[in-house]
Amino acid sequence: MGIINLAPKILDPIPGGKYVVNAIDYVVNWARANSIWPLTYGTSCCAIEMMSSSMARYDIARFGSEVFRSSPRQADLFILAGTITRRMAPAIQMLWEQIPGPKYVIAMGACTISGGPFIYDNYSVVRGAQNLIPVDVFVPGCPPRPEALFHGLLTLREKILKETCRNPWHEGEPKDVSTMDRYREAAKTWAALEEMKDEQMAEARAKFKEENPDYKSTFKPVRVKKEEFPVVERVPFKRLGLTQVELFQKLRAKFPNVTVHTRGEDTPEDLVAKMPADCPLEVMLEKEDYLNVVEFVKNDPEFKMDYLIDVTAIDYDDHFDMVTMLRSLEIGHKIFLCVQLKKDFSIDEEKRPTSLLAKVPSITKFYPGAEVKEREVYEMFGINFEGHPDLRHIFLDKDFVGFPLRKDFTHPEMIRRPI
Amino acid sequence: MSHQLPPGFRLERKSNTEEFFINMGPQHPSTHGALRLTLRMDGENIVELVPHFGYIHRGMEKQAESMSYLQYIALSDRQDYLTAIQNNLGVVIALEKGMNVGVPLRGEYIRVMLQELGRIASHLVFYGCFGGDLGGQTCLLFGFKEREMIHDMLEEVTGSRLTTNFFRPGGSRYDVPDTFIPRVKAFLDHMEDTMKDYERFLSKNIIVLERSIGIGVLSKEDAIAYGCSGPVLRASGVNFDVRRANPYSIYDLFDFDVPVFHNGDCYDRYKIRIAEIHESLKILRQCVEKFPTEGPWRSKEKPVRLPVGRYYSEIETAKGLYATYVVAATTGEKPYRIHTRGPSFPHIAALNKMVQGHKISDLVTIMATLDPVIPEIDR
Repeated sequence: MGIINLAPKILDPIPGGKYVVNAIDYVVNWARANSIWPLTYGTSCCAIEMMSSSMARYDIARFGSEVFRSSPRQADLFILAGTITRRMAPAIQMLWEQIPGPKYVIAMGACTISGGPFIYDNYSVVRGAQNLIPVDVFVPGCPPRPEALFHGLLTLREKILKETCRNPWHEGEPKDVSTMDRYREAAKTWAALEEMKDEQMAEARAKFKEENPDYKSTFKPVRVKKEEFPVVERVPFKRLGLTQVELFQKLRAKFPNVTVHTRGEDTPEDLVAKMPADCPLEVMLEKEDYLNVVEFVKNDPEFKMDYLIDVTAIDYDDHFDMVTMLRSLEIGHKIFLCVQLKKDFSIDEEKRPTSLLAKVPSITKFYPGAEVKEREVYEMFGINFEGHPDLRHIFLDKDFVGFPLRKDFTHPEMIRRPI
Repeated sequence: MSHQLPPGFRLERKSNTEEFFINMGPQHPSTHGALRLTLRMDGENIVELVPHFGYIHRGMEKQAESMSYLQYIALSDRQDYLTAIQNNLGVVIALEKGMNVGVPLRGEYIRVMLQELGRIASHLVFYGCFGGDLGGQTCLLFGFKEREMIHDMLEEVTGSRLTTNFFRPGGSRYDVPDTFIPRVKAFLDHMEDTMKDYERFLSKNIIVLERSIGIGVLSKEDAIAYGCSGPVLRASGVNFDVRRANPYSIYDLFDFDVPVFHNGDCYDRYKIRIAEIHESLKILRQCVEKFPTEGPWRSKEKPVRLPVGRYYSEIETAKGLYATYVVAATTGEKPYRIHTRGPSFPHIAALNKMVQGHKISDLVTIMATLDPVIPEIDR
């Protein structure tokens, strides 16, 4: 737009020239404001509402924005639909830089405004798109309705119509701002405002009492009658296959060390017999038995645990509980294998949060689907899997420090939830 | 080997032609969200594929540790937003097991009806995206047309279009309004007719047939080994549906079939979802007839506090097996840990098995038929 931006310099000194400049503005803004082409970009829930808004019911074509472009080089508008994570942030900045100017950004949804539901105790979400790229319009909602997106679009249209070539569209800079300082500042301001409000209220109350010493409140609380509901007993869901008692006895006959979580003075057999019918049997194993048990339950014709539901872990003070959830598709019963892994406390206390504290054999040779799940457990808890073919980070960057699902995990960008 | 392969690639090199690597995503219109795939290509054929997750990893499981159980129900909406109402039920059933609370019959009917409406809505998005990814943008308009009717009903009942946050231990947040049943009836009459249009539009379309039959075959053994579930598993010939295997809520009261197909290719995965919409309509029809007009819609309210223990629930969402694992270390309102097993994660892990030897355009078809939702993988 170099030539048009020169127009005011050349034309304004000429008598009547400013009317020509105004006419140029009118034509250029009319063209820009009525054909805002958005980029096809969406990471989560808001993307679905963005899709809905372009479909028959809501019809974004009424505003000239129906042409969703897959390439940023053909787009004018960047609708940031969905949460922005630290891993996605460089991609977003790159996309924004690839859009030719004049380009506009709508931050859609609570996540792109402030982090939304993911503000507290979070180590991976960028709290607000304005920390990465300049944003023109914010559309609140979680997710915003299509009508809200249209309101954002019309607001952007008004903004575009106010541009002139005397004050041309200005390209900002991609930023890299930490949200922590701003958050602390905002929290401080908020607390000061609350305090001020409390003081003013107290003053007003005292003043009112002085002026009307005989005042008596006529307010009577009205209690709405609550609907009465019956107490309903839960009926356990139907189950197939062997019962927990049979499963436990058969497993114990082969591996005598197998037990269950003991509570009180009950024996394991009693505890298993007391379980509700739809509660899956969760057994405790020694680490040495783990592979043998998995192999046994997979191949034994009475168990036939051919389906891996999940592998996960739980962090306790001195040990991890790694839970392998198995199911038999053919027979229908489930069994959860819980392996207790003692933490390796020979490592220095300072290095403990960033080092692998336990190891366990991998079960990928029995269940190929365990590969990704074990990578997740490795990344989140710092448990080493021996014999895993490809033990890498899966959700976080490879230079991420620490293991998020451990209880002692800290991260510089994490804000604690106020209680 | 003279040069090192990028991380994740494992196959031995077979041909003498020059191989190259292509990066697809994280911003790509047909990866259905922020997913990055790296492809190892031999000419136009895919030799191997490595998925890279984590572009929308929001740390929900870490957050859940400082939230109350009820707050977590709202987070479960944002995992698989296409089946938000079903995720709610998955979490709530786990809580009910811990609290030992039952649900009255009318509450169970409300649950089942909303589940099936959610399933149809999710499959309609699949229908639209499948057609759209094959080049027929009209399908998107078709799929979203009826989906808006479902969203109207969901909005009327739950107050929200997408993130419903509706079920609670012992029932739901509200009773359904009086207009709900007539609306569902009207929707059923409309939908049963419209399904004929849907099928006429894609099922016999020559482009769809050519591009999906025999493409992306997932064998029965692989599907089980990788832990696939839902329509993907059933299209490979395994008859497994949680609604049948471990009927939760009151699914054992209804008469419906579990469609199973045996080829395991893209066309079967498409057909099975169409068949499932028909089955959902069948269940809804029975619900509308039997819906109890009188009676309580929820049981007596109790504070949501779980005794020490571990609670597990599993349900069948539109995508597959959705399991929630709740660990309560102290009796209280907060969990020690909540873990979610989403259905899309194993599907993307098995993607490498399906695409080998196919072209890039076939990868787009295969991705569409897996119908993944990436935030549910990354959580």
